[in-house]
Amino acid sequence: MRVARFVALLAVAGASLPTGGCASRDFSIRSLPAETPAADNAAAIKEFQDTQALAAARANAATAAAIGQPLTAADVPSMQSYDPWERMNRFTYRFNARFDEAILLPVADEYRRLPSPLRTGIHNFFANLSEIVSVVNYSAQLRPAPGVRALGRLVINSTLGIGGLFDVATKMHIPGARTGFGATLARWGMHPGPYLVMPMLGPATLRDGCGFLADFGTDYAINPVNLYRGTAGWALTPLDGVDIRANTSFRYYSTGSPFEYDAVRFLYVRKTLIEDDALRMWHSSGNRAAPTPAAQ
Amino acid sequence: MRVIRSLGALLMLTQLLAAHASAEPPTGLADSAALRATVYGAPPQDIAPLPARVPLDEIDITLPWARPLPAVLWFDRRLRVWFSAQNKAAPLAIVISGTGDDGNTAKLALLRATLYGAGYHVLTLPSPTNPGFIAAASSTGVAGDLMQDSRDLYAAAQEIIAHLPTKVRITDVDVLGYSLGGSHAAVLKSIDSVEHRLKIHRAVMINPPVSLFAAMNRLDQLFALSVGSGEEGINRVYQRLYVRLANFYRSSEQVRIEGTNLLAAAGAVLRTDADFSAAIALTFRIELMNVFYTGDLYAGTGVVTDPRRPPRPGDPTDEVVRRLLGKPFSAYFEQVFAPYYLAHRPGSTRASLIAENRLDIIGDALRTNADYYAQTNADDLILDRAELDWLRSTLNVRIAVYDHGGHLGNLGERQQIADMLDMLAGRWAGAGE
Repeated sequence: MRVARFVALLAVAGASLPTGGCASRDFSIRSLPAETPAADNAAAIKEFQDTQALAAARANAATAAAIGQPLTAADVPSMQSYDPWERMNRFTYRFNARFDEAILLPVADEYRRLPSPLRTGIHNFFANLSEIVSVVNYSAQLRPAPGVRALGRLVINSTLGIGGLFDVATKMHIPGARTGFGATLARWGMHPGPYLVMPMLGPATLRDGCGFLADFGTDYAINPVNLYRGTAGWALTPLDGVDIRANTSFRYYSTGSPFEYDAVRFLYVRKTLIEDDALRMWHSSGNRAAPTPAAQ
Repeated sequence: MRVIRSLGALLMLTQLLAAHASAEPPTGLADSAALRATVYGAPPQDIAPLPARVPLDEIDITLPWARPLPAVLWFDRRLRVWFSAQNKAAPLAIVISGTGDDGNTAKLALLRATLYGAGYHVLTLPSPTNPGFIAAASSTGVAGDLMQDSRDLYAAAQEIIAHLPTKVRITDVDVLGYSLGGSHAAVLKSIDSVEHRLKIHRAVMINPPVSLFAAMNRLDQLFALSVGSGEEGINRVYQRLYVRLANFYRSSEQVRIEGTNLLAAAGAVLRTDADFSAAIALTFRIELMNVFYTGDLYAGTGVVTDPRRPPRPGDPTDEVVRRLLGKPFSAYFEQVFAPYYLAHRPGSTRASLIAENRLDIIGDALRTNADYYAQTNADDLILDRAELDWLRSTLNVRIAVYDHGGHLGNLGERQQIADMLDMLAGRWAGAGE
């Protein structure tokens, strides 16, 4: 239903895009949003300095003791990934690549031409909505500190931030830390399960795929200020999707490598396992009195 | 969707580890600073001034001489290149990527920005060793021959320029490239000096290898030293890096892998010279896997896939990946490259194939023609002492040799960019050392 509408909307948007210059079967030229190297480098300088400051702070605080028992080589999972549905997954991956190339990416590129403050507003709006899912799931994970922080962000940004359009909370040094039902399942010990490529959404594991659907269901069930079932409710999910795509630099087959599926699966599964491990550690180490978010 | 974003973050990490180690072979004798510069690249605060805005077009082109496309490379049907046009008459800079790289890498974006800012139209092309180029634009499908690859590149560049919108007015054509792309740029100019189809004016090589094959073999040695041989070695490196990354996240209190802490994560994972060497060697090996696989597929050598049962897009590739990870460049040369070229180039021998892949093949032009330039570093991993001396004596005053940066680790720095622009404009007055 909603997904079908999402696809229909994107298909219409994709088909109605101006082809931009000449386009024949043998030669096509497509105008992309302009690059902004000066601003990008300024951001890189800031990130570089933040990283150095953080590293220095870390060295002073000697947090090494906080990790408890460090992981050892014996705990490292095999380089192979559990992928019993590989043929289906590869088929879906190929579909996703084509869908992205034909529809999602062109729409996201058009979106990126909108004035930057407008895009930031939209982005903040969806980030603010996601705090609801975070509050619910931090509660379910019995993690009060980040739960209260997420709730605080939700309240501050919904009011002072004018319905979430401005991220006032981050300026007040309450950075966001999203969580979802997938992480809740992980926190209560559920294994990621088999690798799963979800149509349009991309790589996941069975657990995180279910988590994603549950998060969506949570939003829909809570239906804040009648957003999801109001008159413009149908546009919400596609716009969120386009906003996320526009902020993601990943490009299918940009390297041209025949082993991209393998590489993405390897990285995604390792990432999931490392996050699970960190989450498990966080709980077994007695919840480490008032953990502070890393990004400050 | 969130998953795509996290994945993007993770890919950024690998790019961070890989981008600057883009593939060319180190000697194994490099010092710590060179290894680190090679992996991390120039720090952002040392980057040359960049323009606020650079327009960008993505061009897909079907080339008439492309070989039939194997089903598994369905996504590589058309050659993809990137173009930034000035809105006035301007010179065109053609920029060629390094080994295995596509036509829109971070390094190319950096060069594009500085060149566009200096008033050039900029066309960025993938390396002829990139699988996308091999499938869409190679006349052989077997990459690695300096002259043949450059000829394919030359033909592709002509097709692309002929199709550019008529409002793009080009006053002059210069060509440059980084790493192996630097060698291609110089050979492109030497081909053009006979054929005159692009009327290339100047060529600048940035950190080029002198002998591709010698450099590759050195890289295989580095792999053997830092990773070890076979699956055992790869597994050991994997375990070492995994343990560090997992412990980094255990201690970081942030239990999600996101873009913001990737630099710190990379710092926690790569610590010793051996780590940096392994990162460089593994990056190269992964690029080689693509070249090996496509070369075997096109030449039908049967080393990797069975020519009678061509692989299909849905087939699992774990086994192929596992086998190729263990194969050095010498295996590619012996099993795919040499058999193909010995059969297609009458009178050639293994020794002649190796000799034809040195920059010596255009040595006279490099020595006598004042329009060839080079930039390299005294501690570049892909050159040994004799090769650096050869570059110096051949190009004489037309080479800038910096005292730091390893392989491409100073690309984008103020001095490197200023010198590069001077060289392209013909106002380079020699190194002011």
